[in-house]
Order: sequence, then C-alpha cells, then structure tokens
Amino acid sequence: MVTIAVLLKQVPDTTARITVSDGRVDETAISTWVTSPYDEYALEVAIQHKEASGASITAITLGPPRADKVLKDAAALGVENLVRVWDDAWESLDSNQVQAALSTILEGVEADWIYCGKQSADRNQGSTGPGVAERLGMACIVEISDWDVTGAQPSFTRATSSGNERLAPTPPIVLTFTKTETELRRPNVRGIMAAKKANIEVVSADIGDAQVQVVAHNPPAQKPEGRKFEGAESVPEVVGLLRDEAKVI
Amino acid sequence: MTYEGVDFYDIESELTDEEKMVRDMARDWVEAEVVPNIEQACRDGVFPDEWRVALGEMGVLGMALDGYGCAGMSYVAYGLVCQELERGDSGVRSFASVQGSLAMYPIHDFGSEEQKQKYLPKMASGEWVGCFGLTEPDYGSNPGDMITKAVDEGDDYVLNGAKMWITNGTIADVAIVWAKLDGVIRGFIVEKDDPGFSAPEMTGKHSLRASVTSELVFQDCKIPKDRILPHVEGLKGPFSCLNNARYGICWGAVGAAQSCFHSAKEYALSRIQFGNPIAAFQLVQNKLAWMLREITKGQLLALSLGRKKDAGTWTPEQISLAKMNNVDMALEIARMARDIHGANGILDEYPIMRHMANLESVKTYEGTHDIHNLILGRHITGIQSFTREL
Ligand SMILES: Cc1cc2nc3c(=O)[nH]c(=O)nc-3n(C[C@H](O)[C@H](O)[C@H](O)COP(=O)(O)OP(=O)(O)OC[C@H]3O[C@@H](n4cnc5c(N)ncnc54)[C@H](O)[C@@H]3O)c2cc1C
Repeated sequence: MVTIAVLLKQVPDTTARITVSDGRVDETAISTWVTSPYDEYALEVAIQHKEASGASITAITLGPPRADKVLKDAAALGVENLVRVWDDAWESLDSNQVQAALSTILEGVEADWIYCGKQSADRNQGSTGPGVAERLGMACIVEISDWDVTGAQPSFTRATSSGNERLAPTPPIVLTFTKTETELRRPNVRGIMAAKKANIEVVSADIGDAQVQVVAHNPPAQKPEGRKFEGAESVPEVVGLLRDEAKVI
Repeated sequence: MTYEGVDFYDIESELTDEEKMVRDMARDWVEAEVVPNIEQACRDGVFPDEWRVALGEMGVLGMALDGYGCAGMSYVAYGLVCQELERGDSGVRSFASVQGSLAMYPIHDFGSEEQKQKYLPKMASGEWVGCFGLTEPDYGSNPGDMITKAVDEGDDYVLNGAKMWITNGTIADVAIVWAKLDGVIRGFIVEKDDPGFSAPEMTGKHSLRASVTSELVFQDCKIPKDRILPHVEGLKGPFSCLNNARYGICWGAVGAAQSCFHSAKEYALSRIQFGNPIAAFQLVQNKLAWMLREITKGQLLALSLGRKKDAGTWTPEQISLAKMNNVDMALEIARMARDIHGANGILDEYPIMRHMANLESVKTYEGTHDIHNLILGRHITGIQSFTREL
C-alpha cells in the first residue's frame, strides 16, 4: 500500500498580534494557533492522493501539547495516523535539530511520499523539506503549485518566472508545496466525531545539541506617523513625495 | 482575517476540542459563504440552494441526533453552530433549526423504524428538506385549538386544513404536519407530491428575507397509513420539538448580537465627530459596555442550558427564560448598534438593520416573547394566565 507522510507545523494565526516581552515572542499572548497555511496545501494533496490510491496518511507535527490541534484537524479530514514529536526539555530548536527529530520519525513510517509546506508561516526558513530529504537520502522538489495525483504516476508542477516545469518523481521523495488557488476542503461533523476518537502518538527523538541560540526577538520598528494633506493646492507636493520619497510612482 | 467571537468570560476554556472544532467549521463557512452573499440573498428574497448543500455536507443538519446518518454530537456543539449561523443571518439558522429540531427530531423520537430509515439519512445530508407545520392562520400562540384535521379512511388518512408561516414549506420534500385525529393532535409526514397538498410561498416579508416562508394547504390530501408518527399524541409532540428549536435560538441570538456588537465597535472606533472617535465618548462607551454585558450573560445562559440538555436535566421553563432573554437582548443590541452607526446604520453595507428586522421574527416565532413570560408567570405563581373567561 502507498504510504504518505505529511509534516504539519502549528503557527500563530497569520492575523494574530505578536507581542515581545523580555526579548522573546510572548507565546501565551497568542490567542489563535493554526496549521501553517503552506502545510494545509500539503495536507490537501495528501488527501487527494489518498482518495485516488487508497494510501494511508501519517501526519507528523513537532511541538508542545497545544500542537495536537493540528493533528486533530488533520484527523477530521480523514488522516488516520497522528504523531507528535516532542520533549519537554526542548525549547528553541535549530533547523538541524528539527530535521533530526522529523527524519527519525519518518524513518519509522517508511513513507513513499513525504509532503510539507515550502516554509512555515512563522519562521519562513524553508529549510525543513530539503533538510529532511537530505537526511533520508531522498530527492526533494520544492515550491510545487500544481499536481495530479489521480494516476499511477503522480506529477507535480512548479511555476517559475520563465515558465512551468512538470515533474514525475519516483518515490520515496520529499515534496514541498506553496499556496495555490485550490480550495482547501473543510472538515465536517462526522470527521470531527471521528477525530475525537483518534489517538495521537507522542514520541521523542535524539536531536543533538543546538548550534544556534536565539539572542533576542525584536518587534518591527514603529511605522512613522502618517501625514495628512488637504486641498487641491497640495496635489503637486503629494505627487512629488510619492515619486521622490515613497518611490511608488 | 479570522473572525474571533466575543468571549469575555473565557467560555472557550469550557468547551471540548470537538465543540471548538465544529464551531470553527461553521464560523469559517459563514465567513466565507454567508457574509459576502447574504445581502444579495435578502434582496432577492431567496435561501441559496448552495447553502442547503453545504449545511448537509458539513453534517450540521440534525447533528445532535444519534444514528441514521446523524452525528450524535453534544447539544452544546449544536448550539455553537447555531450561534455561528445566526451571526451570518437568522435565516440560515432558521433553515438548520427547522430541519434538525423541528422536522428530523420528531421522526427520530416519535417515528417508526421504517420512517427513521427512510427519511433521516436523506435529511441529514440535506438532500431532502423538511418543514414543520403547526401554526394556522387563526391559531398561533394557542395551537391546541388548531382546526386542521385528519380522518381515518381505511387505507389512508385524509387531511384538510391550512398551515401558515411555515419555514422551508415551499422547498420542503417532507412536511411534519400536526393535525387532529378524532380530536387528538397527532403528527403526520406529508411528502411534497402527495395528492391534495400544496405549499405556496408567502411574499412581502421585511424580515427573514433569506428564508422561505410558506402556507401549507391540505385539500382532501391523502397519505398512506404508515405516515402517522406512532409514538406521540397531543401537544407534547410539537412542544418537545419546539423546546429543541428554542434552545438553538438561545445561541443563535447571541450570534446575531455579536455581529451587531462587532460592527458597532469598529464603527465607533473609526467614526470621528467633534474631533474624536465617537468611541471616546462616554455615552457611546456606555452602549458598548451594555452590549458586552448582555452578550456575555446570554452566552453563559446558553452554555449552561446546553450542558443541562446534554445531562438530560433541563426544564421547559429554563428554555423559555433563555429564549426570551437572548432574543430580547439581541434585538436591543441591534437597535443600539443602529444608533451608534448613525445614518450609516440603515444601509445594507452593515449587517445591523438586517439582523434587527430578522430578530423581530425570532422574537415572535417559537413562542412569542410574552408567551414565554406567561410560561414563567405560571411557574412562579402556579396560576396559568394563557386563557381567561371574559
Ligand atoms: C418568519 C416566520 C417563520 C415561522 N416559521 C414557522 C414554522 O416553521 N412553523 C410553524 O408552525 N410556525 C412558524 N411561524 C409562526 C410562529 O410560530 C407564530 O407566528 C407564533 O407562534 C405567534 O403566533 P401568531 O403570529 O399567530 O401571533 P398571535 O398568537 O396572534 O399573537 C399576537 C400577540 O398576542 C400575544 N398573545 C397571544 N396570546 C396571548 C396571551 N394569552 N396572553 C398575552 N399575550 C398573548 C402574543 O404574545 C403576540 O404579542 C413562523 C413565524 C414567522 C414570523
């Protein structure tokens, strides 16, 4: 049977207000956590692939207990195996540690197809997919924006500024997805009831020491105050500023 | 932007994961499909058919019932869905209430095994629409005196009479009709193509415009014998349906109120008069504080009632109090929000007038505000004052 793994990261809602206290993002002040939007596309492809091939899907997240939510949400859409990787001693993992943790789990899953977002919506590093592929000795295709997983040979398309590239990979392989026009499916009540019974396996992994330490998080610089112009006589001045200062015209 | 509801008393922490997931599912759908399209639906006076399909796909129709394609979720989850739907529009919540609480519930609780198997799965999926015919032109608050009649004619029952103000009537495949058989109120399942049955739509509404409201007319309408609901007699039948639907309204009204509150808050912060946002004036803050206070009380009432329902301990009087209170406060909040919006408040650019007009229906249906007062009055004094000798 075809086996699919999908990597899902929990991130602050993209509209959540981020506050910094004592040089660190104050996570307790974030009211809404969601599945990273790029990962949602990876999940959508995984489910389409499952529908076409009868594959089984394992969703994997790395995060504290609150991250169970992304797995439950995936279960509500029909994902059957749920794994959360975590150790209470972990704090801020660097890219190498994240990849170590995830690939340890992936080795056990023996997935043919490993799907994830092209980057997470909070850190935006874009290192997880390629890094995991490297560790597992697999090829990786990044920033996929279109796909056809209905046939025996799935194909994936990357849009570049110079045209499209359509690729037909042989599994096992790691694929990362960008946002597309595809409408993401919604859960339904029956799926949510099934998710209630779903079992989340919590595991740890040996991830070595961190090479990178966070020194401080800093909020973005305050935007300068807006300026207000009134009357038709100010038009030349506004146009001048838009051209010379804002450089938008 | 993701919509965040009012949650001043951290109700979130009292919900299960599943309840939150179902609420978010409904919330996202309302945000994506209802909010952008509701004004047009109201202008056209239609309930968009896509919404029927979507509600069925989401599985919210009859979601608190067990088996036969229904999810068997908690009544709190069902209430949260009602809250989200009515934040969009009372018409959407009405569709779901009528389908789940008024049409599917009586089949589920009072129907035969064959009836349950035949109707419930198709109604849960939204393929078949149901309606509930109790009110008659001359009998609204006192349905006990209804004149619609069923006569046993050997192989069939024959129905004669008329129902009025029936939500979903014209689009219904299945009507649960309450009529007197030998002087006793019984429930009958009438299908849309039954001979002698018609369901013309009522027009001219200023309220619940995105909801179909109809008459049901029975002229020697013949239905097979196996269409009677075998397990209930008397007013208990329709009243137990109404209890469930009233419960959904308790939550729904909170949703409509939240929509008005949010709009008023945003508007007050951005509208400048006398050199300040109007939100900076104490009189306006007083209004906003009152709204928050009433919404919060209404939420706590609805949640408490839902937990009682799930535990099987609610009383009809508790439902009456919550229905009456929450619709009342929502209507008052709509009016206050309209006031805060000034002239803009009358425009369809804002949801205010629509909710206000809708809530006038919600105040009247499922037991008028004063009928619930009388239910509480009887509870307090032991004296019924519904009827009186003049
Ligand atoms: C949009 C809409 C949808 C509806 N959908 C349905 C439906 O799907 N199915 C259905 O069966 N019905 C439905 N109804 C009907 C609704 O349930 C009735 O309108 C309601 O029960 C009130 O009846 P009435 O309109 O005849 O008012 P009446 O009973 O005539 O009441 C008029 C006024 O008199 C007051 N009053 C009545 N009796 C007393 C009393 N004893 N003491 C003090 N005051 C009293 C009432 O409180 C009210 O203020 C719907 C109504 C509307 C507006």
